[in-house]
Amino acid sequence: MSQFLNLLVAGLTSGAIYGIFGACLAVWFRVCNVLNLAVGDFAMFGAIGTAWLVQNAGLPFIAGIAVDLAGVGLAAWLFDWVVLHPAFDRGRGARGIVGVFFYTFGLSLVLEGAARAWFGTDAWGAPVIWSGPALSVLDFHVQRAGILVFALAIVSGLALWAYLRFTVSGRAASACGESTLGARIVGIDTAKFRRRIFIATAVLAALFGIVESPLSGYTYASGPVISLIGTVAAGFASFRRPGRAVAIGLAIGVAESLLGGYVSTSYNDVLLYALLFGIIIFRPEVLGLGAEPA
Amino acid sequence: MSSGTDVQAAAAHQVRRRDPVPLGAGVAVAVAGALVLIVMNGSYLGLTVTTGIGYAIVTVGMVLQLGYSRQLAFSQSVFMGLGAYGTGVLETKYGFGSLESLLAVIGLALVASLLIGAVVTRAPGLALALATLLMPLFIFQLATYSNWLGSFAGINGVLPLLTGGDYTATLVRSGIACAVLLGIATAVVFRVIRSGVGLQLMAMAADERLAESLGVSLRQRRLEVFVLGSVLAAVGGAAIGSVQGIVTPDVLSETAEITLLLMVFVAGRRSIAGAILGAVVIEYLTTSTSFISTNIGTVEGIALLVILIAEPDGVAGAVDRLLGRRTVQWAGSLRAWSAARLPARGLSGHEATERERGAPDLETRDLEARGGGDGGGS
Repeated sequence: MSQFLNLLVAGLTSGAIYGIFGACLAVWFRVCNVLNLAVGDFAMFGAIGTAWLVQNAGLPFIAGIAVDLAGVGLAAWLFDWVVLHPAFDRGRGARGIVGVFFYTFGLSLVLEGAARAWFGTDAWGAPVIWSGPALSVLDFHVQRAGILVFALAIVSGLALWAYLRFTVSGRAASACGESTLGARIVGIDTAKFRRRIFIATAVLAALFGIVESPLSGYTYASGPVISLIGTVAAGFASFRRPGRAVAIGLAIGVAESLLGGYVSTSYNDVLLYALLFGIIIFRPEVLGLGAEPA
Repeated sequence: MSSGTDVQAAAAHQVRRRDPVPLGAGVAVAVAGALVLIVMNGSYLGLTVTTGIGYAIVTVGMVLQLGYSRQLAFSQSVFMGLGAYGTGVLETKYGFGSLESLLAVIGLALVASLLIGAVVTRAPGLALALATLLMPLFIFQLATYSNWLGSFAGINGVLPLLTGGDYTATLVRSGIACAVLLGIATAVVFRVIRSGVGLQLMAMAADERLAESLGVSLRQRRLEVFVLGSVLAAVGGAAIGSVQGIVTPDVLSETAEITLLLMVFVAGRRSIAGAILGAVVIEYLTTSTSFISTNIGTVEGIALLVILIAEPDGVAGAVDRLLGRRTVQWAGSLRAWSAARLPARGLSGHEATERERGAPDLETRDLEARGGGDGGGS
């Protein structure tokens, strides 16, 4: 029983990461019908950037977090201004299914390359926010950073869900994704929503990277896999429901952990990906996806 | 009426059968590739170009799949791995020759892609992309943990496609064999694009509902495109494995898929020539210059973003547009030149000047449109 509980907690911790990245993807896709495949790279910059600022530049931890998050926000704003604005507001560049994937895919490559050039190939971890030994009840152990990650995921998922569901601004953001032209006709600034939510989700992902990195450590190449699992979690939430994406992410994390604990520690990821692949292929209706954007 | 239609259909069929472009393009690609490799005479650059040609076999299939049919599947690296590992296993564990293993791999890829494609292509747009995004992940891990496939070290001792007296001759001959395979792939893809099936694929890419209403069997066409793209990817993988003599899990990783996508998108996803040159040039850049190979991610990312914003059809699209403009300029110059010679043949100076200005041959003036009643008109 204690093994099951420990595996469950480990799964919820890793699932919280997948879930929140899925939520970040879903909320931005809902606004502009583009997948943010760079969300994992923003998390990587959050983790490694903060660690570098604290360990190498000598900044205090809080200042390091603030500078790093500001830098990530600035990078997101710059990307929107240089790439997304001409592509989506001025009608230049590739659109449709190519635009859905490849703008942020390009950004992911740039961020990964920049991180490799700047921080090298070592694994980095930001300092622990809530330090101390693992909390234990009988044989049941949980890392403090894990509790923070899980709590932050739940709070962020609920906040994003409530924003979209209950606020006028959230409904306007959803309208942008439903029909850009219609939203503009009724006076919604679609570019503003796209930019603000892109920056907000980038900063949120970076914050998660900072909180989670003491558990797993990040290298320059950590981003794409996180983004991919986040994409799968968002996909199971129709790419539009951040609350459900968090729940799906948690389920994926728990499944991964239980497969590792009870079936095979080597093949748990293989089995997990094969399971998800099978679900998508044999039951694509569970994704709730319509036709691809034209 | 029916016999007339039959005659027209037969004539159209004959015209299609006699279309010289696919065969001509295939032969041209094979000959050009072979000549380049002969000139390079087994040098390191020749090895790089041969590997690039192996990748080009894959990217030519991707032009049909991603560029022309807009089938967003990310499974090419998996089938490339199937080709490479299939060749390696058959040659090192079962004693197959290189040609036998190539044919066996083609058959294996055909069956595997039919089985996988029959299921995968049921998934609509984004679901297909999502499902095939997962494929490289678990196949890569499966290969790295499998001792039978050599784990991280892979399979060593893969035979070259053709052997010669020494290393140089073997490399040149294998390269020529790869160029011939690329020529065949080019001819096949050109043939599909320029056929009635190609028109159906174009209609599907533009609007699936419209294509379905025109009688196109979406599922069948999706499956055919998936199978052809996958088989070409397997052939490319087999060629790459044969050239390098070793197969490692890297060939079917998501990094390999990213490289393939960049080869197609940066060079031009709708251009076969672009896909071939893109594969060779990017392979050269990733292996031959230390600065670019170190910073390959940044360079590829920036190149991709610039291409997407400035010229979504890639470098090939930009070249096409440039050549199109040049062609218009040349045509204008030719018209001006011929108009300047016309007075000598009896045209008055005024007529010649009008022609130079590009004045229309027929002009209508003072027409009025009148509406009302059944026969309203002018």
